[in-house]
Amino acid sequence: MIEPPSVDLVTQVILFAFPIFIVAYSLYLVRVVKGPTILDRVLAVDAFFFDVTVFVMALAAYFRLHILAPTAIIFALWGYALDVYVSKYIERGEMGD
Amino acid sequence: MIEDITAIAAWAGLALFVGGAVWDLIAAIGMNRLPDFLSRLHAATIGVIGGAFYPLIGISLILLGTDIMGEYRYIAAGSAALTAFLVLLLAPAGSHALARAARKKGLYRKDILVIDQQEGGETE
Repeated sequence: MIEPPSVDLVTQVILFAFPIFIVAYSLYLVRVVKGPTILDRVLAVDAFFFDVTVFVMALAAYFRLHILAPTAIIFALWGYALDVYVSKYIERGEMGD
Repeated sequence: MIEDITAIAAWAGLALFVGGAVWDLIAAIGMNRLPDFLSRLHAATIGVIGGAFYPLIGISLILLGTDIMGEYRYIAAGSAALTAFLVLLLAPAGSHALARAARKKGLYRKDILVIDQQEGGETE
């Protein structure tokens, strides 16, 4: 019989991982502000959005809010829409329909 | 038996979550250190697959294996697994669209490009 990790241990591990994620987000935002071309900024915002989904899911697990969990899907779809629209505008000079 | 399997899955989920945080930090450092756009695509791939896909799978396994969220655990775990699947599908497509736009408009450094197969394939 293997014991699953206790609720206290899971909470402590999520709290331990939060600062690492926050440092990573700050470094992504440095590239968003600094990036020489617009594609660099969009790539950094894209990686930032896909990591915000992880942050929202970790917040849902930390606060025990199940209603917070499906909102992470919207962030993933936003990042993809930003990628596609910006690359199409750079490539052809129009947004399309 | 089934309790053993879910307990092992929860421990693996914890390991995936912490490992994903480290991958994300490595990718963020690479996003700042690499020289041009086509190189930064590598860092973005590490940050999305290692830093977003693995921790989402890990959170899903944690929520399924422990009783942290009570009877609503299946809603949250299913949302995490669906988000991981969407990230796995959408991130390479978005990166490819950006790389195609950069290649067509020349928005990368040509002095450090080793080989360009579309321009005759000459090295240096």
